[in-house]
Amino acid sequence: MQSDANKSQQATGRPVTTRKLDQLFLNLGDVAAFIGRFFQEVFVPPYEFKEIIRQCYEVGYRSLLLISTTGFITGMVFTNQSRPSLSEFGATSWLPSLIAIAVVRALGPLVTALIAAGKVGSSIGAEIGSMNVTEQIDAMEVSGTNPFKFLVVSRVLATSFTIPLLTMYTVFVALIGAFLNVNVNEQTSFTSYIQEVFGAITYLDIFSSVIKSIVFGFTIGMVGCYKGYHSSKGTEGVGKAANSSVVTAMFLVFIEELLSLQIVSAIRGS
Amino acid sequence: MSTESTKRSVVVGIFVLLGIIILIAGIFVLGGQQKRFTSTVRLIALFKDVGGLKNGNNVWFSGVKIGTVKRISFVSNSQVEVDMNIEESSKQFIRKDASASISSDGLIGNKIVVISGGTTRQPEVEDGDRLKTTEALSSDQIMATLQENNNNLLKVTNDFKELVGNLRRGKGTVGAVLTDSIVADNFKRAMVNLEKASDNTVRVTGSVAQFAAKLNTKGTLANELVTDTTVFRRLSRAATRFESTVAAADQSVATLRQTSINLNRASDKLNNTNSPLGILLTDKETATNLQVTLRNLSKGTELLNEDLKAAQSNFLLRGFFKKKAKAEAKQKADSTAAATPKP
Repeated sequence: MQSDANKSQQATGRPVTTRKLDQLFLNLGDVAAFIGRFFQEVFVPPYEFKEIIRQCYEVGYRSLLLISTTGFITGMVFTNQSRPSLSEFGATSWLPSLIAIAVVRALGPLVTALIAAGKVGSSIGAEIGSMNVTEQIDAMEVSGTNPFKFLVVSRVLATSFTIPLLTMYTVFVALIGAFLNVNVNEQTSFTSYIQEVFGAITYLDIFSSVIKSIVFGFTIGMVGCYKGYHSSKGTEGVGKAANSSVVTAMFLVFIEELLSLQIVSAIRGS
Repeated sequence: MSTESTKRSVVVGIFVLLGIIILIAGIFVLGGQQKRFTSTVRLIALFKDVGGLKNGNNVWFSGVKIGTVKRISFVSNSQVEVDMNIEESSKQFIRKDASASISSDGLIGNKIVVISGGTTRQPEVEDGDRLKTTEALSSDQIMATLQENNNNLLKVTNDFKELVGNLRRGKGTVGAVLTDSIVADNFKRAMVNLEKASDNTVRVTGSVAQFAAKLNTKGTLANELVTDTTVFRRLSRAATRFESTVAAADQSVATLRQTSINLNRASDKLNNTNSPLGILLTDKETATNLQVTLRNLSKGTELLNEDLKAAQSNFLLRGFFKKKAKAEAKQKADSTAAATPKP
């Protein structure tokens, strides 16, 4: 689709604005069309349940160990690094509250999304990109299978569903890591720690975190699929697709984090 | 392949289930923490200033969290209504006369509503009750008081500065003492004198010690006075006698005083012209009369003397006088003879 647009532009030879700006708008149009096609296909049978479960397994379960480890380390390190600032005020008893807010509101979803973007986004981009390069997608189309539904919808659904679950794991493990650190240094009991943690967070924090994770998952899946689906032909194209899917997904995750912060602050303030 | 697919599905199922369990557990723990699933009653309190209280802030009663702030809304331009959800189980301990105030959880912690007081005479609160409020000191008020203290401190330090300046310039008695060299010399001399006085005191103390030693030496008067009971008894008796003498003297003095009073009275009477003696002593006319009388009396006496001499020559009385002369001569001769010594 993108290549068609590029070809048509090259044929006319006259850019509407500038060549680069035209290219940007064409890409944005392609992205919008790609997302629109996803929402068209997702509600229309047949549903590729098996492929969705397989992707959930690949995206979720296979990333669990990596993300859990990262979450644990994040919780522990964040606690350790926050302690000196709080101990200056003699307020180390506030560490659980601080960690809870930081992990639930921002660190949990963000770390999960970034790790997933690196691991899952790149693999999706590379996988679909290589399929595109080897013309397997065209072959699927010829054989009567809807490649978009099979490849894109299943993957985007899998990431949108598993990234929030992975975020739950990350938050849980990060809080456990933080507890171990707090327990060793401040001798805080588990009950007291849990009281402090849940005294600091609200339902808004939990639900905004879950919704944000769904958006992150959707973004990672969609960027990976888009980049793979529109990779240029040749082995170089696969690498580019994998690389740009990670970079773009991470960039978009940060932009979404910023937007979600504004939205949640507005809701909290009202 | 089918087995692989099934295994994968099971793993995904467990993965999803655990993730959802974590989410639900979190929601329930948070709900339990915020008392979302316990039955509550609604209490209202009207404050002038809630000092940054927010929805969801805790409500404490006797230091125990019993609920949360549900809603904060303005009811007029100077009153804020705070709706609180209080656990139904805690309701029985809160009485209708309890009061609510805004406080904070620690020095720099979140704002909280503190319910305190209440007497058992009053019934327990009911849903929708309005609690009376106590306006706590805000940080602004504390800062205002602190500012006043600062101003006072400034004044005190200024006064002190002035005082020290005066001292340095030698103003006032203390300043003169501190800066004037003459005063310092005087002070030194005074110290020297004090030292001398101290030396004298030492000597006096030594003398007193010596005296005390002598006092303790047996045989001396002082020692006997102090220690000998016989001397003491004598002295005591002497004193008693002296006392009685003094008492007698007192009595004599009293008698003399009475005599003096009587003399005074007599003197007054003598001075009084109404009394015979007074008249004699003071009245000139009477004196003149008396002089005339005495003159007349003198003349009368002379005449009487002449008359008596004439009477002696009278024959009736001549014999008597001759006999008397003879007796006198005889008595005179006897006495002369007796006085002359015999050979």
